[in-house]
Amino acid sequence: MKIVIDWDLCQGHANCTGDAPEVFHVDDEGKLHVLVSEPSEDLRPKVELAVRYCPTGAIRIQD
Amino acid sequence: MEVQAVSAETQGTVSAPRVGKPKAVSGGLPVVGHAIEFARDCLGLLWRAYQEQGELATLKVFNKEIVLFTGPRAQEAMYRQPDDVLSPNDAYKIMVPVFGKDVVYDASPERMHEQMGMLRPALQDKRMRTYGEIVAEETRRMVSDWGERGEIDLVDFCAKLTNYTSTHCLIGREFREHMSDEFAQVYYDLERGVTPASYIHANLPIPSVWRRDRARVRLVEMIGEIVEARRASGRESEDFLQTLMDARYKDGSRLSDHEITGMLLAAMFAGHHTSSVTTAWTLIELLKAPDYLDRMLGELEQVYPAGADVTFQSLRQIPLTEYAIKEALRLRPPLYILLRSVVADSFEFDGYKFEKGTWLANSPWVSHRIPTVFSDPWRFDPDRFGPGREEDKKQFTFVSFGGGRHKCLGNAFALLQVKTIFAILMRGFSFELMHDPIVAESGLVMGPKKPFRVRYRRLRPNGAF
Repeated sequence: MKIVIDWDLCQGHANCTGDAPEVFHVDDEGKLHVLVSEPSEDLRPKVELAVRYCPTGAIRIQD
Repeated sequence: MEVQAVSAETQGTVSAPRVGKPKAVSGGLPVVGHAIEFARDCLGLLWRAYQEQGELATLKVFNKEIVLFTGPRAQEAMYRQPDDVLSPNDAYKIMVPVFGKDVVYDASPERMHEQMGMLRPALQDKRMRTYGEIVAEETRRMVSDWGERGEIDLVDFCAKLTNYTSTHCLIGREFREHMSDEFAQVYYDLERGVTPASYIHANLPIPSVWRRDRARVRLVEMIGEIVEARRASGRESEDFLQTLMDARYKDGSRLSDHEITGMLLAAMFAGHHTSSVTTAWTLIELLKAPDYLDRMLGELEQVYPAGADVTFQSLRQIPLTEYAIKEALRLRPPLYILLRSVVADSFEFDGYKFEKGTWLANSPWVSHRIPTVFSDPWRFDPDRFGPGREEDKKQFTFVSFGGGRHKCLGNAFALLQVKTIFAILMRGFSFELMHDPIVAESGLVMGPKKPFRVRYRRLRPNGAF
């Protein structure tokens, strides 16, 4: 699975860092960093939560 | 600079250059254009514009051209643009008399960015996970003196409750405890002083504007006292007030008291009236849809057995409540007009070229009534957001919070807040409407007209919901 971010939409809410801290990090400036762009399958449930609850719908999984 | 809106959505549909402008909506008068109708019946004008001209319609307010963008394709093109092409700042100048000079939209783009950055932690994940409990506590406190049966003014109730919940969460407990009835009244006058007419001129010589300005003077005094008290006490707290008092701009300077006050007002303003009317509309719509309400109550009883607390996790397990709130937001978006101005030399969409200075508008109220996007769009039907249908799944269809980089920063907070209120309120009480039809007021935020009385009946004693 590959993480795809719609950068026009991300506002740095950091919801994803709570759901999948292994994959997402938001710095003090509110900028998102994808730590692992192709995370392993065991992280899928966490990433799916991040996708589902992102307040701006900025995260997508590409298989 | 010239920019063409091409995205995944619009690619391939951009047609050859067209001459002129999208067709004008009827009813324009010499000189003033649609200004009178814009100020008096903004929503009626916007709806007619869409009915007559579809996706793109031009209206004129004095010599200002406003082009109404409607439909997912046009909305995406509008909301996706970066700030150097389409900017929200011109339109938000109407907030300057409320927030004050040099605050947020009146500051330079760099300053504004720094100021918004100070607010961000309050809306980010770590704090957000603590807000459910706070909102639950405030809701229980508001209804603790209710009897077995009674009547309330729903508009008043929602305004007070969300004032406490949003202030407690976003600004801090101490600030919330300082909020008196006078504070709520003065704040109400401030909110009511901003209307669609403000887009034409922010300082028209009308009573609501005078009340607004008097209210701001008094609020600045009251907030000043709270800031002074915090400073004098030497105490430090982990709240937004402290963040602002400690904050430094990149150049090392601190925020002035004027800026602190303005930022506090901006935080309250953005999150208050909108959540307040959403709470009211959700309850009203639910009471008119008893079958759905029954299912929703069943879900609440299941997720919150006696004594269960409202947690961040449990709030994710009540989708029927969430759909109801979203459906109320769809039918009754608190902000029914959102604006951007062309700041690049021109902006092109669909073959039309919009010159610098043109305003682009989107009306969530109008957009949410397109039958090809939302089936049977006038009907309150929360299941449209549920599995299998998900009518909002496509980006830029559900636009109650706007979209793109300037989408409402508080959208997740708003949903969490209103969900929590319902999780508590509906297990403690049942409600009954006393009037119909429901009239919406015509301010900048469209809420039910006050007074709006509803009957309640207590289901559980305090402490049991």
